Amino acid sequence: MSADRRTVTPEVVRKVAELARLKVPESELSIWTDQLARIVSYIDQIAQIPEQEFGRPPEPSATPVRPDEAQAGQGFQALEQNAPRRFEGFGVVPRVIGSGQ
Amino acid sequence: MTDSVRSIAEEVAGGRRSAVEVAREALDRIEGGNPVLHSFLEVSGEEALREAARVDERVAAGDRMPLAGVPLAIKDNLWVEGRRVSCASRILEGFRPPGDATAIARLRRAGAVFVGKTNLDEFAMGSSTENSAFHPTRNPWDVQRIPGGSSGGSAAAVAARLVPGALGSDTGGSIRQPGACCGIVGFKPSYGRISRYGLVAFGSSLDQIGPLTRDVSDAARLYRVMAGVDPLDSTAADRPVGDPEGALESGIEGMRVGFLEEGEAEGLDPRVAENLEACREAFLRAGAQVGTVSVPRAAAAIAIYYVVASAEASSNLARYDGVRYGPRRSEADLASLYAETRTQGFGPEVKRRILLGTFALSSGYYEAYYGRAMRARALLSADFERAFESADLIVCPSIPAPAFRLGEKVDDPLQMYLSDVFTVPASLAGLPAISVPSGLTPEGLPLGLQIMAGRFDEERLFAAARAFEREIGFPDEIPRGIRSLPS
Repeated sequence: MSADRRTVTPEVVRKVAELARLKVPESELSIWTDQLARIVSYIDQIAQIPEQEFGRPPEPSATPVRPDEAQAGQGFQALEQNAPRRFEGFGVVPRVIGSGQ
Repeated sequence: MTDSVRSIAEEVAGGRRSAVEVAREALDRIEGGNPVLHSFLEVSGEEALREAARVDERVAAGDRMPLAGVPLAIKDNLWVEGRRVSCASRILEGFRPPGDATAIARLRRAGAVFVGKTNLDEFAMGSSTENSAFHPTRNPWDVQRIPGGSSGGSAAAVAARLVPGALGSDTGGSIRQPGACCGIVGFKPSYGRISRYGLVAFGSSLDQIGPLTRDVSDAARLYRVMAGVDPLDSTAADRPVGDPEGALESGIEGMRVGFLEEGEAEGLDPRVAENLEACREAFLRAGAQVGTVSVPRAAAAIAIYYVVASAEASSNLARYDGVRYGPRRSEADLASLYAETRTQGFGPEVKRRILLGTFALSSGYYEAYYGRAMRARALLSADFERAFESADLIVCPSIPAPAFRLGEKVDDPLQMYLSDVFTVPASLAGLPAISVPSGLTPEGLPLGLQIMAGRFDEERLFAAARAFEREIGFPDEIPRGIRSLPS
């Protein structure tokens, strides 16, 4: 882990914003970069924990499962109530196939 | 509304008072107090009166309910059927949930009445309730100050006696910290005690629902009703809840109370340090064995937390893209729909956490940040396990300083994050923790003491909290910032 504040550069912020589907205007880029760099610099204190203190990563515990029985779900009702655009029980999105994306 | 949760329930269940009358009183209090405090985002008068009338019918039919007619305020990130859920965010404008959260359904069965949805930091991300997309909430002890966050609306409503109890959610301290700032009790159960079905997810390995009340006994009553296994949430633990109310008066004589060494670090606000001495004496008077205990990695907890919680938030909030709910900001193409909806819908703090979390999970940084934070989290949990070998309970201040002024920290996210320095360790370790009012500063601002117990040891926690509450004698007075409100 780098303890260097330059870990977070404007290029990194641009890349991360794209991954997160957020737009960061160029005019705000330096503010976001400075804020995130300061936070990451603080977080870098985790690097000061000596490597030998870490054991094996904890094994994730098994997720308990409920009986595999058909039940009425609420997903369709939620979509019916809340989707911004609907058509015959489906949520409508802009064309994907043939849109060049 | 000066009555407690328990006294209202007993009077309504016993037929000495009607639930409708109690609901009307709460709605009148809210009408008087909310314009000053802005603790509610939505008040549901008609629905509450209908629910109260139904409770009166059940009482008349002989149904004995532990929360008969108790008016509750609900943080606006929990599903209550037919009511809005905004998470104080523009991105969920207009969203109506398809049913009740499990915790809400259990409270409803127990006779509770839901009077409204309370303000919060957007998606529960914050420590001051200033990150709400709609308005900040004010502290009833000093309306120029923050009520804490993110459950600040719920805390302010209870402290101002608009309602006898409220629900919050706690990811890194969002029940305990506002509880302390507002001079009330805030309780976060062990991870897994209360189902999160119907709680809008923020950090799924941390989120817990819990009560905010004016005393410890009321918190135990609400907790008992909500706790227990639920097939709709695989993280809800299948283990007996026990009898937290029965444990309340069992005392703490001989119990080993360890004051957290890392909680008395240099630089602690002198008012908090002085109060901590009073807390130590209260435990001694109650008959506890008082010592100190160390949890060395507690000092790194904020750093660990902001990696883990932000990473989980970036994943959980990926679902808000304008397809299934909320206003859609672009129809040009799918990529624009996602980006415009999210960019216009989320506020700055939510974006900051999403960016931080996405960074910590991204290729090239994953192991150095997320992987290492998870391993450090395991070390912190192991530290707690060792500490609980020499102490039955671990205590420290709930907040590093009393409530700060509105606007004081909005431009400094890192300083804001450090408000949770004492509450985050228990969240990372999944421990039950409660903030109990511990005194007032010379300028009349509340402070709180946090008591932590081993995982699923809520009975011992409630016994200690009740004994401490009795000994410390926090003044039972109307907060001075709202004394002019009609009572």
